[in-house]
Amino acid sequence: MQHGYWIRSKPVYHSLSWQHRAQAHVLVANGEAGRSIVRLLHQRLPDQPITVLYHPTQEADYSKSLVSLAGENLHVFKRESELWHRFEQILQQSVMGTRLYAAGNEYFLWQATTLAASHGVLSGDVMREQASSLARSVYCVHCKTISHRVTTNIAICTGCQRHLLVRDHFSRRLGAYMGLMIDAEEPGNVPEAEEVYP
Amino acid sequence: MNNLAYKRETFRDDYTYRNSPAAIRRFPFPFAEDHYMYSVNIEQHQPGAPGSIVEHAFDIDEHYVSECKDKLLTLAQDKGRYAALPHMMDAQWDFLELTMESLARDYPQLFTLTKDVDHWTWRNRPLEIEDSFIFGDASTLPLEPFDYMGRQVQGDFVLLDQREGTLFADAGFITSQADWSLAFDIGMSWHEWHGPVPQVEKMGIMDRALKFLMSLQQGSPVRRLNWTMTINPRLDTSPEHFPEWGPDKLTVTPQNAGEKAHLRVELQSMFRLPRSNAILFSIRCYLISLEELATYPRWAKRFHRVLKDLHPDLLEYKGIKVYHEAVLAWLSQHDDGAEIAAGTHPG
Repeated sequence: MQHGYWIRSKPVYHSLSWQHRAQAHVLVANGEAGRSIVRLLHQRLPDQPITVLYHPTQEADYSKSLVSLAGENLHVFKRESELWHRFEQILQQSVMGTRLYAAGNEYFLWQATTLAASHGVLSGDVMREQASSLARSVYCVHCKTISHRVTTNIAICTGCQRHLLVRDHFSRRLGAYMGLMIDAEEPGNVPEAEEVYP
Repeated sequence: MNNLAYKRETFRDDYTYRNSPAAIRRFPFPFAEDHYMYSVNIEQHQPGAPGSIVEHAFDIDEHYVSECKDKLLTLAQDKGRYAALPHMMDAQWDFLELTMESLARDYPQLFTLTKDVDHWTWRNRPLEIEDSFIFGDASTLPLEPFDYMGRQVQGDFVLLDQREGTLFADAGFITSQADWSLAFDIGMSWHEWHGPVPQVEKMGIMDRALKFLMSLQQGSPVRRLNWTMTINPRLDTSPEHFPEWGPDKLTVTPQNAGEKAHLRVELQSMFRLPRSNAILFSIRCYLISLEELATYPRWAKRFHRVLKDLHPDLLEYKGIKVYHEAVLAWLSQHDDGAEIAAGTHPG
């Protein structure tokens, strides 16, 4: 931990809450973040139509709770790509005043944001909650591969096998942190990795 | 510098890059005082003294041909050094127009631009390029306009799109960067891509600089100097190729620092572009070895003092820490401790 040295590209997340001044509400979530949608559905619901897109994962499946709360407004997808396909269709048909909510791991949140941006929705108008693991997606600056589910401060690139230092510098477009070869100056000098993104 | 003898030299492998005495004399030494900290050191980019690096909008010097060759080598290794988001096409043409018009006006012996309404012909004598094209029609150029001229002007270039109350780095031609990645940073907002720079956050510098740039007017470009250090005269000190140049940092000794360690100064100039309302951020890199720097004793003395008490965060960020002691040892031989008057001039 470096006190006082904060890289401003690292996003700050909040808990989702309903934005009642709206025309419609579209929620996307994956895995463990289904719980955040359940929590949201327990609150006073807005008057406008709600659509929930959910992709359960091996780690967590909140479909049953979600279906009992959201009923036919819930759409469950076996594959994440199907969820994005549906999300894109919804974005195409959406009117001004549609509120977007995303809950999931960080990579998921920025996929949702990037997709929304391609339909003219500003990043600031998508609400995001990092509702599951703090694991990072890491972009290898050397071979450009993105390695997912990195929980340690030093990770082996799945593309080029280099040991990467996971920096706090974050690209919203890539949904990933920068990884830089840690032993470039002194090959072989790799400190022990610590699990800091559980 | 309108009748240049271009040096044939390399910025990699055998590193034959050197400065002539004239190039040393015009080097943009950035330290007016014995202490350095970041500031918003922005001034008007008005034409400066004849022969100086700011005589013209874009400085073409004795390294021109070799530097343009080095750009091509870097691009061939890593295509991600050029990138432009689709909405930046107007800004690309703005860039082409600004660079072609400036070079043809300022160096008529080297570059010629002839226009017949939209039919333009560009001649670049040093690089032996001649192309006719229709301005505004990218299909008539061999490359995208920004890529095409990015290869023909020394330095790096970022095109900043202004929207949502900030500036976005939405296009770049980056082959001589001080350790930042275009492929990673493209599309980022001002505060995001400056995120890693230490100390400036609490000083409010980036907020003020952004505010200043957002109101930049067409026809009133501005400039500032920035600096770091590089081991060996290498332009491509990118994070992408860090495995290639990182090990060099551990080879510096008090004996070889004069030859190996280089002061790297960036002339950053910013222009508002007419069609796109984007801003061109140009970053021109000047390299000088400590030995060359010591041609002028007051520069060596001053740089010794600046480095000696540089803030530890800056030593870390600029990557100087690992060879700091060796460089100080070399420079200390040239510092008798005598007081030096304020100013950046050589003699």
